[in-house]
Amino acid sequence: MNQQPGKLGIREYVSMVILMVGLKATEDTPAALYNMVQNAAWMIPILSAGIFFIPLFLLIKTMSLYQEKNLFFVIQKLFGKYIGFFVCLLIFIISSFGLSFDSRTYTNIIRVYYFKTTPVLLLYALLMTVCAYGAKKGIKHIGSVAYLLIFSIILSLFVVFGLSTQDSNIQAVFPFWGTGRLEILKSSAQRLSLFVEFFMLTMLVPFFTSSKDFRKGTWIAYIYVSIQISAATLFFICLLDHSLGEMGYPFHTAIRYISLGSYIPNIEIVFFILWVMASFIRFTVFLYINALMFGETFHIKDFEFLIPSLATIYLLIGSIPETPLQVGIELKPFIATTAGLLFTAVSIIVWLTALLKGEFKHAKNKNNI
Amino acid sequence: MQKTKIISRILLLFVIVFSLTGCWDREELEDRSYVIGLGLDHSKHKGKIKVTMLLANPEVGSMQGGGGSTEKPREIISFDANDLIVAKVTANAIISRLISYDLLKIIVVSEEFARDPKFWNIISDVSYDKEIRMNAYLAVSKEKASEYFLKNNPKMETRPHKYFQYMIDHGIENGLIPDSTLFRLFRTTERGTDLFLAMNTTAVMEKHPKFKGEDEYYAGQVNASGELDDTQFIGSAVFWNGVMIGKLTGQETSIINTLDDTTNISDFLVNIPNPFPGIRKSFAVRVLKREKNKVKMNLKGPRPKIFITLPLNFDIMSNPSMVDFSKKKNREILKKEIARHLKKENEEVLKKAQKELKGAPYPLSFYARKYFGTIQEFEKFNWAKSYLKADIYVKADIEIVDYGKKAKKVGK
Repeated sequence: MNQQPGKLGIREYVSMVILMVGLKATEDTPAALYNMVQNAAWMIPILSAGIFFIPLFLLIKTMSLYQEKNLFFVIQKLFGKYIGFFVCLLIFIISSFGLSFDSRTYTNIIRVYYFKTTPVLLLYALLMTVCAYGAKKGIKHIGSVAYLLIFSIILSLFVVFGLSTQDSNIQAVFPFWGTGRLEILKSSAQRLSLFVEFFMLTMLVPFFTSSKDFRKGTWIAYIYVSIQISAATLFFICLLDHSLGEMGYPFHTAIRYISLGSYIPNIEIVFFILWVMASFIRFTVFLYINALMFGETFHIKDFEFLIPSLATIYLLIGSIPETPLQVGIELKPFIATTAGLLFTAVSIIVWLTALLKGEFKHAKNKNNI
Repeated sequence: MQKTKIISRILLLFVIVFSLTGCWDREELEDRSYVIGLGLDHSKHKGKIKVTMLLANPEVGSMQGGGGSTEKPREIISFDANDLIVAKVTANAIISRLISYDLLKIIVVSEEFARDPKFWNIISDVSYDKEIRMNAYLAVSKEKASEYFLKNNPKMETRPHKYFQYMIDHGIENGLIPDSTLFRLFRTTERGTDLFLAMNTTAVMEKHPKFKGEDEYYAGQVNASGELDDTQFIGSAVFWNGVMIGKLTGQETSIINTLDDTTNISDFLVNIPNPFPGIRKSFAVRVLKREKNKVKMNLKGPRPKIFITLPLNFDIMSNPSMVDFSKKKNREILKKEIARHLKKENEEVLKKAQKELKGAPYPLSFYARKYFGTIQEFEKFNWAKSYLKADIYVKADIEIVDYGKKAKKVGK
């Protein structure tokens, strides 16, 4: 199978990113945020987005020096062969663990709410097979499918929010500052991991028709996603109030609760199907990027052939934890915090190195000539 | 080559279609028995509970125009169990089909069990169960829940799921019973600041119930006679921290439902004392809530002050004294009387809640939250305690939209 590295357009990219990052609103993130600062949880996504804007901006600025080159190329170029290799490997490993535990969480959701007696391993294997198949098709195809799905998924999400307002109470957002202003700021800094995917997405730069598209797309998606996660958290706070903290997956509790009048009482299956498709896209992109990282790190050109084996490894890693609780409470937050810190640090260091090496000046001179 | 391709594609499609049925989570509708009502009681054995299941027969009434089966519409079984989850399996010793809580509509708890501190522990299992939906209702019955389901024998609506659905929906719309979904139960109890109201029901009519004014009845006190089912849904049982502590009449419940912005009360009819001379002492009005209540609070100082304004629309449905409402004076008298009456009734109920029930009977604490910057401050204020000392002023903001069909007195 010889694939042309198809080019990505801005709309495919934006829809892909929205599905990949925006889907965080529908898993355990809102509950985790609630447990940090109670009813001020909806502020965290926006504040974190504000904080993470700086490293992301610097990174994209640095990347723009190297037209049509991806993140790992830039890292290896700036840090040299050995340190660069080490940093790339570290990023790859962290994101691998992130993918494993994230996909395990999604499998848990599917099992807990919809397929109660099916073995976890089977559901998990199915999820990974679909994602591996999708990822093998290449980024162009993933983008097209994402664009196909994006409208129905966003629509369904807002239908859920709309229906949930029937039973929600806007006054649940008070006391406005939750557990205190300082606490919110601190938690926002800890929750940079909400947007680490944007860091990884810089791997996709070479696939764009123009790097301007990439920059524009990133910012559009960035703003939209931060608003979406924040809005979702806000709606769940209004609907569930204190119970949100004890609920694992508020989105799925909400879709089981809402109804379209007394004649169509149970409608979760509609939302579930769309949600599953969205999560396929999420992990397909995730898997593709990880394979790309692996290929870049070890200089493997036909990295797409690695995808099935990588998927199998992730499946095995994800199956290690015994209970969903272990994943949700111990492993995921740990990986998320590490990823948030590491990726932020790398972005800033990349920029600093470029600055000290005078790469920006070089580029300016080149332009002047 | 082309043919092989097409054939293999069709085969693939078939394989995919077959996989849709699943293997482990395959559910046959034919194979399931749906529990509509669940009853919880004390058991004679220590540490156990008595579970009653009301199972609906989906075959009955589903066919239009006769030809249906002659089976009974329901089955009821009661037995002792450790909890209501494993009870599903135990019930299979008696019921031929697989028991499912997917369509559970109502959980009925006997009053004596609801007053037991153990109750919260048992009912909490519900939030762990993956089948029970949070929009099932909690009801408290005066008699044992096992007897309740047996005695409940609707004459017209024999299919239990429809019976409970209509009974509860209309009861809530009329304001006589509270909107007591499990969702609200858990939300209220976990918040820990307000009281929760569950609907009160009974299938045993009191022997010689006294006639009372409007709807000042507890469940079982409405003295109805004729060819009917004795089940009554009226009034509410009050829970604090998951334990039942008291009861409210139908009228008190309807007042609280009007005060509560989070329930789905529609228009309802009430009697208001007649301010005009005449033989009949009351006239009928239809009450419509125009918009959400306005609540203002002054929480500083030792005695917090709470001001509630009820924006209500009224339709005058009867005119027993044949008053000419085209005169402004008469309209003013009427308006004043309604305002006075509502103020008195609302404040009485809230006072009763403060004194006897020791809590706010609806999520009033939500309105208090905005006066605090952080959760710590709100917790320090301690709503549950401070509310008991609060002075509550209720004002009805009345608009009479309709004075009835006849504007003038018709000659005698």
